[in-house]
Amino acid sequence: MGKKELKVAFLLALRSLQRGSRSSAILTVLIIGMCFTNMIFLPALFNGIGKTITEQIVDYEVGNVLVSPKSGDRYVTDLDATLDLINGMPGVERATPHISKGGTLTYRKKVLGATVRAIKPVDEKYVSPLYTKMIAGSYLGEDDTGEVIIGKPIAGDASVKEEDEFQASLGGVRVGDSISIDFGNGYVKDYRVKGIYYTGWTQADSAVYITWSDMQLVEGKTLDYADYITVKAKPGYSETFIKNELQQYGVSQKVQTTADLLSKSMGRALQSFAIINMVSLIVSIIITTVVLFIVITIKTLNSRRQIGILKAIGVDKGVIMHNYGFQVIILAILGILLGMVIAVLMAVYMQYHPIVTPEWSATLYLTPMDLVTNGLILFGAAIVAGYVPAYQVSREDIQTAMRS
Amino acid sequence: MIEIDDLRKIYVMGTVEVRALDGISLEIVKGEFVGIMGASGSGKTTLLHMLGLLDEPTSGKIVIDGTDIAGLGDYEKTMFRLYRLGYVFQDYALVPDLTVFENVALPAMLRRDRTEDETREHSYDILKKIGLYDRKDHLPRELSGGQQQRVSIARAMVNHPDILFADEPCANLDSENSRMVLELFKEINEDLGQTIVMVSHEDWHKDYFHRIVRLRDGKVVGDTAH
Repeated sequence: MGKKELKVAFLLALRSLQRGSRSSAILTVLIIGMCFTNMIFLPALFNGIGKTITEQIVDYEVGNVLVSPKSGDRYVTDLDATLDLINGMPGVERATPHISKGGTLTYRKKVLGATVRAIKPVDEKYVSPLYTKMIAGSYLGEDDTGEVIIGKPIAGDASVKEEDEFQASLGGVRVGDSISIDFGNGYVKDYRVKGIYYTGWTQADSAVYITWSDMQLVEGKTLDYADYITVKAKPGYSETFIKNELQQYGVSQKVQTTADLLSKSMGRALQSFAIINMVSLIVSIIITTVVLFIVITIKTLNSRRQIGILKAIGVDKGVIMHNYGFQVIILAILGILLGMVIAVLMAVYMQYHPIVTPEWSATLYLTPMDLVTNGLILFGAAIVAGYVPAYQVSREDIQTAMRS
Repeated sequence: MIEIDDLRKIYVMGTVEVRALDGISLEIVKGEFVGIMGASGSGKTTLLHMLGLLDEPTSGKIVIDGTDIAGLGDYEKTMFRLYRLGYVFQDYALVPDLTVFENVALPAMLRRDRTEDETREHSYDILKKIGLYDRKDHLPRELSGGQQQRVSIARAMVNHPDILFADEPCANLDSENSRMVLELFKEINEDLGQTIVMVSHEDWHKDYFHRIVRLRDGKVVGDTAH
């Protein structure tokens, strides 16, 4: 097949699309565009969910690197020295300790069990954006005692009946109200609610935060230990770099990056997402292939006489086949571009209007590589779907084609 | 020159054999304007299809300018049709999505021995000759039947074929347009020495032919100079 033949095939294809049935061409482009959107939507949504969950885990649970007790230990001990060591390392923005305790919250006649997390509010600001999530009142101060901040789901809403609540709450706590916390060790204290926050991360929103000083009162001693330490990396420093550095410099605790933790806790969920993505991709490819196969088959069947005539005047079957092939290529390119535009617009829209569920909120997470990869897969499927009927009809003998 | 020797075409329909061509032998020399005439079902179109390499004979031999058609492969036949034969159909058979110019130029575009400029110039010349240059950017549906058939003739002539085949080119035309088309064939034949083989069942067309070959039941029943 020479350059001239390809040029003629392209001319025939272009003219057929320009001057043939416009509605058929537009419909085909729309179908391919929708197939592309379908192909990319579910994986992008799952990626978005995964990314949101990862970000929330980093922000509200483990930071970039988690230092937890080594095997057999209950706490990270020698806390001050460990914190000084970690905070002195290059690449570390800040390390901050956490200690949690179960507590029973009482507000008026409402009683609710919740996790009480003790933090060092100033250090915590460097590691977690919790302080930016206050929806009422204010964040904890470093030396606050007798004050708590609580998650919105725990605070509840006075206008919602108890039986209508999605999650048990204290029934409408407001800033300034007093709640009592029984820590189960005989220590019971009334706390003033300093602020109410909402992060969107269930575990954080279902907790109550007090200061490290208050937890020392609960424990009745100075705390030189913690359940774990969360470490925030400076921009440009990888989690692995920080982990290796901590281990090199003699942090004797267990050191794990977010990725280490997620590969265990999220591994199964991510595997499930990957399987669903694959099924969705295969279904989309099959639909696109079948649709294009039908469109091109109908087109070729309707043009059999014309194909016969082209052959009769000396047009080679290769030119005829490539004519339909080029039509599919043009339709596929337009459809894929349309699909890309739709997908990007949806991603932008969902940045501002994410899908929010009680468990997570999600946006569409799309990378240029996702768009290109899916585009190429769909393009390949379209070529196969278009060329098969084109090849079949181009092989038909002239008499049979002309008689149809 | 076309040499046809004992050409047969048998269609098998179930248990019935239909002898569309039954032992035809003919010679057509360069520059002749030959009319193949006969009643419907006499084998005229079948013969033209065999000569135009649009169908395979069951047996017999066709030699065009020394080339035995039986020895050509599929691609070679396509190239033979492109470079050496022209074909005019009863229903014009223009590509509806191409303009008049594009329809005419299409076979020339595929020739490897012509540049794009030559193809364009040559196509314009032919369109001027048939009086449709000013319609070159129109689509076939915007033309009358007679004009479409003239475009079809221009397309058949664009590659300077050795032989021009025409299968009842006036069947869909009124007598005025038919006459115009026949005059065009005559002019091409006389001016360019173009060999033309035309199928017709209209008796008055014989005035334009140099020679009339009459068929009946797939056999030559008359071969007269006119």
